[in-house]
Amino acid sequence: MVAESARKFEALEAQAQRLMAVFTKAGYEAVAPAIIQPADVFLDVVGESLRARTYVFTDPDGNELCLRPDLTVPTCRLHLERHPEADVEARYCYNGPAFRYQPEGATAAHPREFRQAGIEFFGNESREEAEAEVVSLIIKAVRAAGLKSFGLRIGDLGLFQALLNAIDMPDRWRARLRNQFWRPEAFRQELVRLTRDPAEAIHDLPADLMARLDTADLAKSEKVVAAYLDEHKLELIGARSLREITQGLLSAAADATSKPLSSAAADLIDAYVKVKAPARAAGARLEDLMSERGIRIEEALEAYQRRLQLLIDSGIDPALIEFSAEFGRSLEYYTGFVFEIVVPELGTGSPIAGGGRYDGLLKAVGAPEPAPAVGSAIHTERLLSTLDGGDA
Amino acid sequence: MSENLIFAVPSKGRLMDQTTEALGKKGLVLRKNGSDRGYRGEIEGMDGVEVAFVSASEIAHYLKSGRAHLGITGEDLIREHIVDADKRVELLRPLGFGRADVVVAVPACWIDIRTMAHLQAMASGFRRIHERRLRVATKYTNLTRRFFQSKGIGDYRIVESLGATEGTPASGTADLIVDITTTGSTLKANGLKVLEDGVILRSQANLVASRVADWSDTARAARHQIVARLKG
Repeated sequence: MVAESARKFEALEAQAQRLMAVFTKAGYEAVAPAIIQPADVFLDVVGESLRARTYVFTDPDGNELCLRPDLTVPTCRLHLERHPEADVEARYCYNGPAFRYQPEGATAAHPREFRQAGIEFFGNESREEAEAEVVSLIIKAVRAAGLKSFGLRIGDLGLFQALLNAIDMPDRWRARLRNQFWRPEAFRQELVRLTRDPAEAIHDLPADLMARLDTADLAKSEKVVAAYLDEHKLELIGARSLREITQGLLSAAADATSKPLSSAAADLIDAYVKVKAPARAAGARLEDLMSERGIRIEEALEAYQRRLQLLIDSGIDPALIEFSAEFGRSLEYYTGFVFEIVVPELGTGSPIAGGGRYDGLLKAVGAPEPAPAVGSAIHTERLLSTLDGGDA
Repeated sequence: MSENLIFAVPSKGRLMDQTTEALGKKGLVLRKNGSDRGYRGEIEGMDGVEVAFVSASEIAHYLKSGRAHLGITGEDLIREHIVDADKRVELLRPLGFGRADVVVAVPACWIDIRTMAHLQAMASGFRRIHERRLRVATKYTNLTRRFFQSKGIGDYRIVESLGATEGTPASGTADLIVDITTTGSTLKANGLKVLEDGVILRSQANLVASRVADWSDTARAARHQIVARLKG
């Protein structure tokens, strides 16, 4: 049990002031989102993997609350409270504690309580500019704190999305591959399944029923399904409607008659996922890969190059930037560009800072429409321990 | 702290009766100290053993922390309450009673969903249509998370449920459940079915040893005696 919330408290506070000074000078408003958050909103947004590490409790009134596991969702909620339509541009910065349960026990390297300093930039429609602004400001801040050598890892879910859109396959397969991108093993299995045997989906379904469905006629198929449920005395319970169940059966039926994913397409996806190189070389490699196969994703590639140029223009040495197609984040709410700042002392498993684009998050916490959002947080204890050359 | 072996056994319910009976058959007769309501006891004619009567889920915590050397409880509770179970405890012997399967069960009317792969494919569409994640009611939060992760399912949310879990899909509190079942008849009565590859664990009562308890020579000797009797 670690009895101190932060060792070297004064050094951390002094470091936080330096970071915050960089943020506020750049026009980011310092805010203090609530530490205690309503569990319901939070947990629906972050997913079970982070939820498993969130401290959830019930107060004497019976309200389900939690200690924030990060500051991004709390800052989104703060923004929405001020601007319920999420239709204005806003820049916020923060510094404060976050809390995560450590299943193997809390240690100095994996504390249950740690301090994040970060920024969130909402509502900017110029995508690459906003992304480059956030990255360069975070780098400016860690440099101001004294960090001299580090690497910048970048990834881009927009490229992956563009690639899927450019390859001929049903939309529902794209959705499936996209959903599995976070889980490499499941992703690989899905790719194999779509290439070898998309009809696998119906092998376990009642054949007599499947034969009576009409993929072109939803209303008629719904009646067939309703009759089947009646006949088998299956009562319709729960939130899924008869239509949803019917659509589930129809998409399985459609899979069975779809042409499998070509092995050339699967190879291309595989080759894309494996691209990992210094950012400039990676850009060239991606362009080659696509033009060799006649795949046109110019817009996404131009966005990649534009962003890279903006980063270089802001004073980041291109040799420090590495692109990895596979680089995703364990938090599933990122939707596009992602990045991490890593140092050799801690390795890639413990980045000093991380962030990216998460255009769906404001809507998930209550905005009427998805809204542009880019942000990043610095793990301040890790930063301090790197600067000290010892443990925080 | 004495050098004695602490043997944690269920303090109530069917699991207590079955434990008492199974041990008794092998000549290990449990006796409570003082009044019948006592929480401590002994095994007749066996030195160096203190019996602790505690609830079945508490036994997992006793073994995990080393407060007990040996215990009898369900494997489901061991796997649920001890994250790094294989590091902290050793399952010495299945005992043939307290059988129950921990399963994933969905409304039987979901005829398009028969396997975890179907569930996985449906989950993200569900989230889009209903603007919320699928809700899974269970008291087995850790087992559920591990199993769902191994099946590549991320679009769901656990709703903790400490009783009458099988009624939650019909009442609308949850969309599907993870729960224990023996014959499946309760699930069926509630309009649910088990997914074909949805058996997370086939559980039964086990004799379990703690790897982190302080094992004195006395405790070690007592363990050998108890294990030898149960084998015989």
